[in-house]
Amino acid sequence: MGEITVYHYLFLGLALFVIGLAGSIISKHVIKVLISIEFILTGVNINFITFATYCDMPKFDGYITALFYAAIGAVELAVALYIFYLMYNKKQSENIEKYGDL
Amino acid sequence: MADLILDNIYLVLLLPLWLFLIIMLGRFFSVYVNKGVIYILTLLSSFLGAALCGSAIWKLDSGRILENEIPFLKIDDFVINIGIHADRAALIFALVLFLASFAVQLFSVSYMNDEKKSYRFFALLNLFNFSMAGLLFSPNLFQTYFFWELVSVISYLLIGFEYSKKEKSDASKKVFIINRIGDTALISGIILSSYFLYSYSGNVNFASLSFVDMNVISTLLHAYAPTALYLVICGLFIIAAAVKSAQFPFYTWLQDAMEAKLPVSALLHSATMVAAGVFILLRLLPFFTLAGITLKFIAFIGLLTALICSICASSQNHPKKVLAYSTSAQLGLMFFAIGVLNIKAAVAFFAAHAFIKTLLFTTLPDKEECWNYWNFIFFLLGGLSLSGLFISGMAAKEMIYYGITNHVYSVIFCVVAFLTAFYITRIALVISHEYGLIKQIPDKIKLISYILLILMNIILYWYLREHCEYKVAEPFWSALTSWIVVYILYVKKAFRKVPVLYPLSYNGFYLDKFYTKTLVKLYDEFTNILNVFEMNVFSNYKPVVACSRFSVRITGWVEKNIMEGCVKIITYTFKRISRLDMKAQSGNIQRYNAYAFIIVTLILSCLIIAYIIMLSYIGG
Amino acid sequence: MNGIDNPVVFYPAAVVMILCGILTVYFKNIMHALLSAVVVFFLAGMFFYVLGSEYNAIIQIAIYGVAVPVILGVAIMFTNLKKGSVEEKREKIPVMKYLVILTGGVFILAIIYLLMTSLVILPDSFTYALPSETNSFEVITSFASGIFVRYVWAFELVSLILTIIAVGLTMFKRKERS
Repeated sequence: MGEITVYHYLFLGLALFVIGLAGSIISKHVIKVLISIEFILTGVNINFITFATYCDMPKFDGYITALFYAAIGAVELAVALYIFYLMYNKKQSENIEKYGDL
Repeated sequence: MADLILDNIYLVLLLPLWLFLIIMLGRFFSVYVNKGVIYILTLLSSFLGAALCGSAIWKLDSGRILENEIPFLKIDDFVINIGIHADRAALIFALVLFLASFAVQLFSVSYMNDEKKSYRFFALLNLFNFSMAGLLFSPNLFQTYFFWELVSVISYLLIGFEYSKKEKSDASKKVFIINRIGDTALISGIILSSYFLYSYSGNVNFASLSFVDMNVISTLLHAYAPTALYLVICGLFIIAAAVKSAQFPFYTWLQDAMEAKLPVSALLHSATMVAAGVFILLRLLPFFTLAGITLKFIAFIGLLTALICSICASSQNHPKKVLAYSTSAQLGLMFFAIGVLNIKAAVAFFAAHAFIKTLLFTTLPDKEECWNYWNFIFFLLGGLSLSGLFISGMAAKEMIYYGITNHVYSVIFCVVAFLTAFYITRIALVISHEYGLIKQIPDKIKLISYILLILMNIILYWYLREHCEYKVAEPFWSALTSWIVVYILYVKKAFRKVPVLYPLSYNGFYLDKFYTKTLVKLYDEFTNILNVFEMNVFSNYKPVVACSRFSVRITGWVEKNIMEGCVKIITYTFKRISRLDMKAQSGNIQRYNAYAFIIVTLILSCLIIAYIIMLSYIGG
Repeated sequence: MNGIDNPVVFYPAAVVMILCGILTVYFKNIMHALLSAVVVFFLAGMFFYVLGSEYNAIIQIAIYGVAVPVILGVAIMFTNLKKGSVEEKREKIPVMKYLVILTGGVFILAIIYLLMTSLVILPDSFTYALPSETNSFEVITSFASGIFVRYVWAFELVSLILTIIAVGLTMFKRKERS
């Protein structure tokens, strides 16, 4: 167990990203899918902040991008929840498979 | 030199195209587009185009040319460029185009308001502007040809706008087919000259027929090509221009185009379609100046058309037909002016004619309604101007007359002027008689467009008076007499008593009938003879029959065993694929997500593999 | 040893985080899944703090750690009014499952390759990337200059989007009620 380098943080972000991706594909509950999408965003954020800390000393552009990501993620969640509310009223089910009739 | 207007002159081209795309794509993706927005955008685009062109004329020195080209097609060392080539002539033509189309669009806002598919109409108007502007600004003959075709295609679409009505679609077809002759002539001329230059001149750049090098190109062709070939090329170009501008043997299409709606006719007859022929003559002027006979030919054709069409027009009873003949006649005068190398007068007359014709067409009564006084007054103003008694029409006509040196020409010109005034007055009286006059103020927007057109005329007149020299001469007086003559004839109702001329001119010199009857009949006869020949000779000759039977058997076998199998395999595979595809289209969001993920991964890994391979090449 | 390169801080937190992430996907009960997701978000905030961005950490914890779970919890309660979530069989394409797993592996490999090589081909400062020795005041200063000077338009845009969403959702609700 040596020192923690930049790669460790990057792999942490990758792991979170992959978990989110898998969750968004596998899980059947709509809310779970939404949480998984937030995982994806968080993983990307970790990546941004790591790069900003390690490689972008005076400017820290990554921090600002991560901030925007958080804001946009919250907006996306709000819209998704409203859609979920409407669909739930219509279908009486939270199973995402039922939402898919064309 | 950086300049806001001159650097961005390509906007003139792109604005109408952009609008066309907006309107049509908006409909295609079934996005609701507000009618008012379409109107405002369309009007704005032509207004901006006019403003840009006007300020560019003001800023551009007379000798300078704005050029911006990029290579478009490369075949070995032969390169065709596309881009923009704006000089003074093109800018003036474009200015007139945009002003006229602005007025027409303003008119059609009120005219097409109740129409169902008015969005399509406006989109096509925009595309028409685009194609015409592209023709005017094209840097070489190849691009000119492209836009030349585009213009005829869009005229086909616009004339046959109400395609459900049979006569309209037929008329649009006929217009398109007759225009094909001109297109063929133009492309043959382009190919001939380009091929000759490519193989015999040392410099390959000349083969792209750029307008900048037109002087050199024509000199080279004149020097190295045989005289016959040179004359043939010139003749082909003249034929192309004559078809587009409805000159003598081909003027029939313009009468068929009267089936179109009023704004369309106004646009076709003034600044868009028919102007293309005049413009291409101006652009190819170096060709013609080197061979004096072609210039004489152009002048001759122009004057002949003017005479014939004026005579034809003076006995028609349909107002649109009269105006169509008169368009041919006025364009003949332009041809004549070009033929005697009076370029300034030709351009001035083009501008004046465009504005006047737009005014005349837009004031016509439509849909069997009564004619109201306002329209009548505006029509008379336009008629006065067209016959050379009033504002810009007078100035331009006298400018053409001023440049004539030959006595025969001047006499014929006076006759044409007389006839012009004659038919315009007569048709005004006929309309007021047939449709009846009522007192009613027309739509506000229409009124604005009329006033705009009159204003443009007056401004043009003022400009010509300041900058060009002419004097009031014989045409003016002959036109004035003709107004009096018409009044007398009309009162006495003595039209039909004129012996030979009346039937001849009423039927348009029988040219149309000649086309439809004689040529079609000849073709029928020819096919009949072939048919008889085949029936009597081939079917009774035994070896031929046996041969054909044998070949039929072979083809039958091939069809049954090979072709059918192929078709079966193809249908089977497509069925399987579509079944798989059906499964894929489940509507499940997560499955779509998975597809997207798979595709992204594929692309990513392909990129990485390509990158690794590239690295290994660089390293090794 | 700073906080940023301290294995004692990193490894336990990372392990717990990944475990909770997997559990979130694994849990059948949605409330349990939400709770483990909250853990993940809090730990992500902790990592932000460790990496030197306190501001991001605060925002992460405030939005993802508190606000989002509360909203989601409300939504879950709204759905749970009707008991018993229905688990239904889906028509399965078995090929699809393996395909996705395979692609997942390829994807991870590709990303790892990219991560390992991207730092090598970039300029020197990246190759020997070391954590920056900064105090938090400096970070906040640069943050402010970033938001209010360099990225001011993006910032305004994001705030505009937020406002539009807030107003729009309210409007929708009101229209529904009337």
